[in-house]
Amino acid sequence: MALDAPFIARHLPDFGRAFLLTLGLGVAAIGGSLVVGLLGNGLRHVPIPGARFLVRSYVEVARNTPLLVQLFFLYFGLPALGIRWSGLTCAVVGLTFLGGSYMIETFRSGFDAVKKEQIEAGLSIGLSRFQLVRYVILPQALATALPGVAANCIFLLKETSIVGIIAVPDLMHLTQGLIGLYYKTYESLLLLTLAYLLMIVPASWALFRLERRLRYGHRPA
Amino acid sequence: MNLRFRSALTVLALLMVAVSLGGCGKNTAKSSLAEIRRRDTLIVGVFGDKPPFGYIDQDGRNVGFDVALARELGRVLLGDERKVTFVTLEAANRVAFLQSNKVDIILANFTNTPERAEVVDFAQPYMRAALGVVVPNDSPLRSLSDLKGHVLIVDKGTTAESYFVKNYPEVELLRFDQNTEAFQALKDGRGAALSHDNMLLFAWTQANPGFKLIEANLGNADVIAPAVKKGNAELLNWTNEQIIRLRKEGFFRRAYEKELRPHFGSAVKDPSTVLVEDPST
Repeated sequence: MALDAPFIARHLPDFGRAFLLTLGLGVAAIGGSLVVGLLGNGLRHVPIPGARFLVRSYVEVARNTPLLVQLFFLYFGLPALGIRWSGLTCAVVGLTFLGGSYMIETFRSGFDAVKKEQIEAGLSIGLSRFQLVRYVILPQALATALPGVAANCIFLLKETSIVGIIAVPDLMHLTQGLIGLYYKTYESLLLLTLAYLLMIVPASWALFRLERRLRYGHRPA
Repeated sequence: MNLRFRSALTVLALLMVAVSLGGCGKNTAKSSLAEIRRRDTLIVGVFGDKPPFGYIDQDGRNVGFDVALARELGRVLLGDERKVTFVTLEAANRVAFLQSNKVDIILANFTNTPERAEVVDFAQPYMRAALGVVVPNDSPLRSLSDLKGHVLIVDKGTTAESYFVKNYPEVELLRFDQNTEAFQALKDGRGAALSHDNMLLFAWTQANPGFKLIEANLGNADVIAPAVKKGNAELLNWTNEQIIRLRKEGFFRRAYEKELRPHFGSAVKDPSTVLVEDPST
């Protein structure tokens, strides 16, 4: 079968634009999720009544509702309450809302894995609370959590493919549009697949390298 | 890392092989008349959310003008208008449903365009279509020329989308998968205007008095026709015979009175402006 090369050449710039938008969306969502993940875990340890319950409830709501529903709520539901965000804003907020809850759980597993003896040892040599977190807890917790965090990052990059339903022109939305307009199914899907591989394979590789560096001490002898 | 990279390349190569094989394979026609009679049901792709052409009524039944035609075809071919299986689809995936043998015929307000005629076979037309543009009643927009610099809402894969992509690339498009979402977005003020087939908008503005048409006859004078899978000459010929016969018998005029007039109200004065009763005109 012959691929329509002029069609591919003509729409390559479109894919370039959609690629940057999708990547930007994914990076923003990952950044937001990391912040939410760390803050959420911080909240679990502050002595404010109800803070733990609040974090727990957020995680349950965010993880147990589909992203599709969250995006529809933000885009079509909020205007009824007088809040009208652009499609792009809804996409970033939706992805961060979902990703943040996954990050909270992943970081939690890391923090919970730090042995009690480590904290006691730190306290016994007179470390301050800040020093304890900075030099004892965080390095160990993050190293343990990293594989899960990396998986969440890849998950969020791929999950961007759904934002087309609120008319955000990401890669998937562009591809469906081109198929609908010109019926060049194979050419469009090929470009789409290449674009996602171009984005996710390097990201996956970079996370793998990072993991090897940070988890050096965890490697089996 | 080396291994990872190699496996990624392998996956890519496999994908390309799969794509090219998919393209080469000659799909056997699964929609021959004999096959349809054997399974004793005609599978028709219709819209589920586009009144008055194809939509779901309060009892969950498929109804509308296109659906009425589908039931008539089922009655002629299999002797019972209930021997029709409806598959609801969206504008953008109509071609894919035919190509992958999921439906025998598409009766989904399907406008015959040159691009589409390359990938499906259109039968004799039964309606005429042009494009319309709706805006809220208090909009400052008066006509097409005012649209520049504004956001226009369209459905993906419709003639409205391709008309504006080709003729007015400077108009920013907001593209949705489904009608319900597109019209909700117009109501939420996410675009200044919405473009769609004029007949659909006649009906919609009747039901939504806060909106008005500023254009009703854009685009080529296109026709709407049933479509079958490319190359299925047997089913195409049969469908053509039926359409020609139904035109003569006044079926479309009756279906218009029943399914369309209640929706169009005074927006359409003369049914012959939307029905194809004599293709020479």
